[in-house]
This record gives sequence, C-alpha cells and structure tokens, in this order.
Amino acid sequence: MAIYLDYQSAKPVDQRVVHAMLPYFDQKYGNPSALHAVGDVATDALELSRATVARFVGARADEVVFTSGATESNNAALIGFAMRSKHRGNHIIISEIEHISIHNIAKYLSRNGFLVTKVPVNQYGQVSPHKIEERITDKTILVSVMYANNEIGTIQPIAAIGRLCRERGIAFHTDAVAAEGLIPIDVKKDAIDLMTLSSNDLYGPKGVGVLYVGNGVRINPLIIGGGQEHGIRSGTENLHGIVGMAKAAEIMEQEMNGETERFRQFRDRLIKQVLETIPRSHLNGHPSERLVNNAHFRFDGIEGESLLLSLKDKGIAVSTGSACSSQTLSASHTLIALGLLHEEAHGSLQLTVGRFTHEHDIDAVVSVLPEVVKRLREMSPLYKEEA
Amino acid sequence: MKSTQYSEKVLDHFRNPRNVGTLEGNDVAKGTVGNPVCGDLMEFYIRVKDNTIVDIKFKTFGCGSAIATASMITELAKGKTIDEALKITRKDVADELDGLPPIKMHCSNLAADALRAAITNYKVDTGKKSVELALSLAQQTPRVVFVTRARELSVTPELKKKIKQSDIKVLRESVLLEIKGLNQVEQVRIHDQNEDEEYDLFLDAVILLPPQY
Repeated sequence: MAIYLDYQSAKPVDQRVVHAMLPYFDQKYGNPSALHAVGDVATDALELSRATVARFVGARADEVVFTSGATESNNAALIGFAMRSKHRGNHIIISEIEHISIHNIAKYLSRNGFLVTKVPVNQYGQVSPHKIEERITDKTILVSVMYANNEIGTIQPIAAIGRLCRERGIAFHTDAVAAEGLIPIDVKKDAIDLMTLSSNDLYGPKGVGVLYVGNGVRINPLIIGGGQEHGIRSGTENLHGIVGMAKAAEIMEQEMNGETERFRQFRDRLIKQVLETIPRSHLNGHPSERLVNNAHFRFDGIEGESLLLSLKDKGIAVSTGSACSSQTLSASHTLIALGLLHEEAHGSLQLTVGRFTHEHDIDAVVSVLPEVVKRLREMSPLYKEEA
Repeated sequence: MKSTQYSEKVLDHFRNPRNVGTLEGNDVAKGTVGNPVCGDLMEFYIRVKDNTIVDIKFKTFGCGSAIATASMITELAKGKTIDEALKITRKDVADELDGLPPIKMHCSNLAADALRAAITNYKVDTGKKSVELALSLAQQTPRVVFVTRARELSVTPELKKKIKQSDIKVLRESVLLEIKGLNQVEQVRIHDQNEDEEYDLFLDAVILLPPQY
C-alpha cells in the first residue's frame, strides 16, 4: 500500500466534505445571483459557507472573498492592494522565504513601478520583526510574510509583525496556506489585513481558496465581471467548491486540537529516529517553532531527486527541495535563504504528515530511509564516512 | 513533461546501476566533471589495455538521470577502444535509455564529458609516461627514437622542451613497420605518412606512442 508523507503538496478530500458537496452538483445547482427560489438555496449556502470560513479564522463574514485558490488570493492581495494604494507609496516588503507565487508576483510588481525589498531570515528560517522595521520607508505600503513556511515548516512571529505594521499604518498580508489547520489563526489578534487561505489544505477540494480582506482594507479587483464577491472577485461562484471548503473548515475547527497532537508525535518520532539512525543527517528549519506535521532533513553527500525516486520505488511519496527535481533546475530558494550551500540544499527531504497518516507509515519510512541513504552515498563521490 | 518522468530503462539503470565504484592502478585514468554547486558531480575511472577500455567505474552525486546515464555509458564504453569511446555522444546515451526528459538532457552530457575527461587524462598520462621513459633511456644510450602518428606530441610544454634539449629523435606522422636485430633492437623500418615513404633507421631504442598520439 502506498505511504503518503507529502501532505504539504496535496491532501485527500475528507469523505465528509465530499458528501457535503455532492448535492451542489445536481440538486442545489442554482446561481447565487438568481432571484428565484433555486437561486435562494444557492445564496443561503454561499453565505452560510462564508460565515463558517470567517469564524474559523476570527473574521467577519463580509471580510471573506472566495477565489480559485491560494495563488489567486496571493495575486489579488499583492497586485490588487498595490494598484489601489500606489498613490500612497510604491514600496513593498516580503521575506526571502515566501512561497514561489509571492516571489513571482513581487517580480511582476517590481517590473511595473514598485520597489520590492526582501527581508532575510536567520538559519532557522525566521523573519525578525526588527529587520522588517529597519526596512520600512515612508513609501512602504505593504508587508507580506507567510504564517509558516511551506517547505521547512518554520512559524513566523506573525502577531509581532502585524502589530508593527498596524502601528505604522502599513497593510499586512500573510499567506497562511501552510499554517491553516495546524495553528489556530485569529486575524484580529494578529492584526492581519489580508490573508490567503486554500481549501485543499483543510482537506477540502482543490480550486477553491479565500482572500481575507479586513474591514477598511481596499483592493482593486483582478477579475472584473458581474460584481460577485463584493466586486473584488467576479464570476459565478464555484458553489460546490465553496460548500466543500466551508465543510472542511467546520470539521477542522472541531478536530484540530486532537489531530495536531497526533501529528506532533509522528513528527517528533520521525525527527528523532532519522537523526539517530542516519549519520551526517540534519534537521532543516526551527527546532521548536515549526509546524507540527513537518519534518525536513538534509543528508550529506546525496541528491534529493534520487532519494525521492528510491523512496518512490518503496511505495513512499515524499518531497525534496533539490534543484534536480524542479522544473527550473534551481535549488529551493527557501533552503538557500537559510544559508545552506547548493549541494546541501540538494540532499533535502521533506516529510509531512496529515489526517490519514498512521503509525505504520512512520514505521515504514524510518525503517527504509537508512538503507536508501546508504546506497546513494555508496555511489557518491562527495560522501566519505569519516568526513 | 515532469522532470522525473523516466523510461523503464532509465529506472532500471537507476535501480541497478552498472559499474559503480572506483579503480586503482598505473593503467587507470580518472575524469571528473561537474560541480556540486550547480548540482551534479561525476567521476569516471577507466582501465586501458592495448588501447581498449577493459574496465570502467563511476561515482556520481546527482539525480536519477545522472546515475542512469553514467551507468549506461559505462556499458557502452566497456570493450571499446578509446577512440571509439570518444565518439559516444550524449544522444547515443539518451537513445540507449529510450530517451530522457528534455530538462534532463544535460545529465547525459555530463556522463559523456566525464568519460571524455577520463580518456583525455589517460592520453596525457600515457604520453607523459612514454616521454619519461624515453628521457631515461636517452641517458643510457645515444640513439633513442620516438615514433608517433600524431603531428604533435600530446604532452606538457615542459616535457616537449626536455625532449628538444635531449638527443631523442622524434619521428612525427610516422609508423614503425618492422624491428630488425638479433636479440636487441638495431634497425627499424619506418613509414613516413606525410611524405609516404619508407626508410630504415639504425638505433638503440624505439618508443612507440599508441596510434592517436
């Protein structure tokens, strides 16, 4: 049976979510904009879903905008806000370890008249609020720092960054995709103005996401049309998807506490056993301020793609930050930002657990990994036992 | 296409790589290419006898296709003369593996380059050894002749200078046809390929470089 330890890249949709979605394909198929009874059923479902997702992150229902997913939410937040606020300034601050979509959006903005500053992180991948403060100018309009990193799992000091921005009158966006469902999020307490969520990361369907737009925050729409979602995101709502995301959030709200405790045990066991049984292995990311489901390693002298392929042969699905596994053949920018050498970043392995992970999945990977690493090291000109 | 969408043949060579390891000895040459910073590092070892690659090993720090291409090229090169082996292209390797994802074609380049580097080093080594032998013979006996088919010796400028300063006679673009003499070398018949003429030469020692030198 396949062993899946790549929950960070995709999660199965919870059966209960599938069940909740089904009527919205052929029974409750109305358009929420339609004024008749069939439309009313859809409108009710849409607004109930909005309220459910809002409650999940401590927001008000009218602050929740449904989108097609996290990438769209990131685009709408950064580009939409920058375009709306360009009369006030053109400076945007992001961290060096943002998701690739944020990096590429920042690149787009910097080609279009905006100035983007990237704040470095420490060896554990944490952004210091002080370093953000140092880079703020009177032209700064927006700061974007992810809630937790999607690769190494490092959790950022979001509340401190939020407060800092609030005091300076600068908008604060956070991409919370890696953190949602693993850390309780409260947008008010953390002084968040814009926040990206994805449905799949809550065990909901792919192709749905949310942009939280705090009260009083104004953004220009990227998708213009019939004025749905307060005019911020036009297009007939993906209602079955939205209902699915809301159901996923509702389940998460109830089960998160017990679930994350289980993940923590899996994670801690993975970290302990891998570091103990494999010589010259290292943990990437923060030793304690890390997502409860994330174990991220690097092994001296070997390359991640061949590691991934070897595990694939054993029926184990994992991720790596190796350049060889990427479409651009460049090493993970997150690992490089930690100060790792390229050859160190190459030998990285990311294991993420989730709702359907069992103890025997952990057993399998910790028993297989040492021999797989050993075999690849025997082929490597870089690995010497005594080095 | 996914960067890891490999053919069954690539996967087979990845799972069971042929000729992994290192070689040692006087008749072994090593070639190293790549750079761990840009991702791949490949080492090839070849053992050459009578101009033929009789043994070959590799080590690599690289992805699945780097391992598979290295493994495949060791199979292609083994048993070939070094000149034949020099002609193996990255396309040959990729074709033998039933193709590689486009983004991974550079891996087959790396393997072909590493093999070429090993062969080049072998030639330089052999050239150096031959010249050193000639120089030491020249100290004992006056008439030492060096025969090579090449127009130039593939040795370091330093060694070339030493030959020039010695009494060694270098016959370029020439082939040794026959050795005459009773229990020892006395006379040889040489074919000058450039002038296309044959002649006899009296000498005490003759050193031949393999055809490609």
